[in-house]
Amino acid sequence: MANVMEAHDLAKRFGDLVAVDGVGFSIAPGETYGLLGPNGAGKTTTISIIAGLLEADAGKVEVGGETISPSAIGPKRRMGLVPQDLAIYPDLTARENLHFFGRLYGMDNNEVKERSNRVLEMIGLTDRADDLTKEYSGGMKRRLNIGIGLLHGPELLILDEPTVGVDPQSRNAILEAVEALSGEGMAVLYTTHYMEEAERLCDRVGIIDQGRIKAEGTRRELVNLVGQKDRVTIAAAGGQLQEAARRLSGLEGVEEAGADDQGITLLVVEAGRLLPVILSELSQNGISVSGVTIEEPDLEAVFLHLTGKALRDV
Amino acid sequence: MKPFTIAWVNLKRLFRDRSTYFFVFIFPLALILLIGLQFGGDFLPQVGVLATEEGTTATEIVDALEAEPGLEVVPLRTEAELVDQVERGNLDAALTIPAGLDQSLAAGQPAELGFIARPGGTGAALAPVVGEVVQRSLLAANAAAFVSVQGLGDFPTSVALAQQVENGIPAAEVTEETVGESLFPASLGRFDLGASSQLILFMFITALSGGAVLIQTRQLGLSRRMLSTPTSVTTIIGGEALGRFAVVALQGIYIMIGALLIFGVHWGDPVAAIAIVLVFSAVGAGAAMVIGTLFRNAEQAAGVGIMVGLGMAALGGAMLPLQLFSPTLQRIAHFTPHAWASDAFAKIRDQGNIIDIAPELGVLAAYAVVLILFASWRLRVAITRP
Repeated sequence: MANVMEAHDLAKRFGDLVAVDGVGFSIAPGETYGLLGPNGAGKTTTISIIAGLLEADAGKVEVGGETISPSAIGPKRRMGLVPQDLAIYPDLTARENLHFFGRLYGMDNNEVKERSNRVLEMIGLTDRADDLTKEYSGGMKRRLNIGIGLLHGPELLILDEPTVGVDPQSRNAILEAVEALSGEGMAVLYTTHYMEEAERLCDRVGIIDQGRIKAEGTRRELVNLVGQKDRVTIAAAGGQLQEAARRLSGLEGVEEAGADDQGITLLVVEAGRLLPVILSELSQNGISVSGVTIEEPDLEAVFLHLTGKALRDV
Repeated sequence: MKPFTIAWVNLKRLFRDRSTYFFVFIFPLALILLIGLQFGGDFLPQVGVLATEEGTTATEIVDALEAEPGLEVVPLRTEAELVDQVERGNLDAALTIPAGLDQSLAAGQPAELGFIARPGGTGAALAPVVGEVVQRSLLAANAAAFVSVQGLGDFPTSVALAQQVENGIPAAEVTEETVGESLFPASLGRFDLGASSQLILFMFITALSGGAVLIQTRQLGLSRRMLSTPTSVTTIIGGEALGRFAVVALQGIYIMIGALLIFGVHWGDPVAAIAIVLVFSAVGAGAAMVIGTLFRNAEQAAGVGIMVGLGMAALGGAMLPLQLFSPTLQRIAHFTPHAWASDAFAKIRDQGNIIDIAPELGVLAAYAVVLILFASWRLRVAITRP
């Protein structure tokens, strides 16, 4: 299936500052692509170029096969933007905000009303639809901010750090909404500097720093890329734990194995795949397993490995 | 249609702000009223008269005052009422005609009439007018008093006779002639000048305050969000300009109709008057957009907007008539659009039509084009740069 969006060798410079330097990636229908990077990494500039708000110095972006730029109209019909900062009229109601942007998306009266009602329901603001948005809580404003981006049913939804400054409950609601939209076939471009969000939502992640994509792939591909292993801790009793550990270390995919009075600890590649074999081996050696904990290396570790700094330190 | 959508949101937001109703609609008309009352052209001073007895001479004085053009005589009953009414400013001045005036004059004794007024202002200026009327009224009485004192006849009969003789004597006539142009046409109503001045002043200040709204729209990220929709930069700029224009034009037409209906202001040819309002609204819209693109925050823009608005109004003859300016200052004044709008209003008040004000409309249109083009370029840069 053709990609919804393709970005090729994007570059953008502001004076001496190189904000984006050769960024390129694509997103397929139903795929959620995450741009993970610290503040100032170039995420928002990349998104601004992709959304047609900013002219790139070099490279091009195609949405639905059409090249996008600030003056391009056609490809903008296919995408919805949810900016990082709230971009809603505080002295209009939620319904009026939706109607206004609906008109800018070229909808007629009936379509605007029908879609607004649907979006209000989706973002849980039907009851407060006719209140001025300046009276809303931060979370409600965030939800409306997202709702405006969804109003016209875009093929590509661009979310620029949508959970910044949001309470945990609203944050969870936003993440669930993104998951649902992706499940319905919408392509999603999601920027964040929260590793947990990228891991939860994104089918593929591009790790961006200093305007460059350092690595890209699924979570597993990224983890493998940097050679990180899963840590499996097995709480066990009975039998010869040391001997069992020695045997396990001979299995393909097990890098290290050790034992103590409480159980066995292993470093393995793809613990999920190897776990049934490990448990079978222990059972054959008369060892009774009371619990298994798997600690997978996360994107934080990948980011640290690729950039030499932690996501939250920058 | 998208520019209208953007303009409509601007209007909707304006009317959500309750202070709008006061500053855009109530305050301008209140000022027109105030200025009309203070400096109005067909103002008729009121003089109270307290005649404590209805003698021949007292009646003659009151009749003469009532016959005097440019004065309104208000009869009073008591001294206290007289003082109170003048002190409160309900009357501009008052005259007291004492009891026994006829007897005093008949006896050849001096008679004293009282005149009171508030210090300065119209009342004090009325003193010589009232004094001249009184002196004229006493001519027959003085002649009769002479006859009476000389024992040649009784006072009442002599007064009647003197009045008959007085009416038959041909009076010397002083003819008046004015040279040069008058500053203001004689037909200028008391609210006419103030109305057009306030119209120009408030339209421009309202326009400039709209610059702050434009900055707010940018600061909220709404301009960029509009750009993320299938809407061109030109359409966004057009919509914002149309919004500013609609706000200012609405206020201008409202003031025009309000002043016409409430104060009977004579605007002149209605087509020409509306043309001035529309073209001046376009100038205001351009100026608002320039302010809205030159400054980074709304507070700064609002403060500068009011200062520039008031300054240009003062310089451009929207506070003090241009006719009172020196020739040099008048030339300088015409660097402002206000002066051209004032000239246009003056022409149509004096029977001019839209053809007569074509030069003024042309200059205002040129202002509008230059300002809107400059602001559009600035706004385009502001929207399409992070």
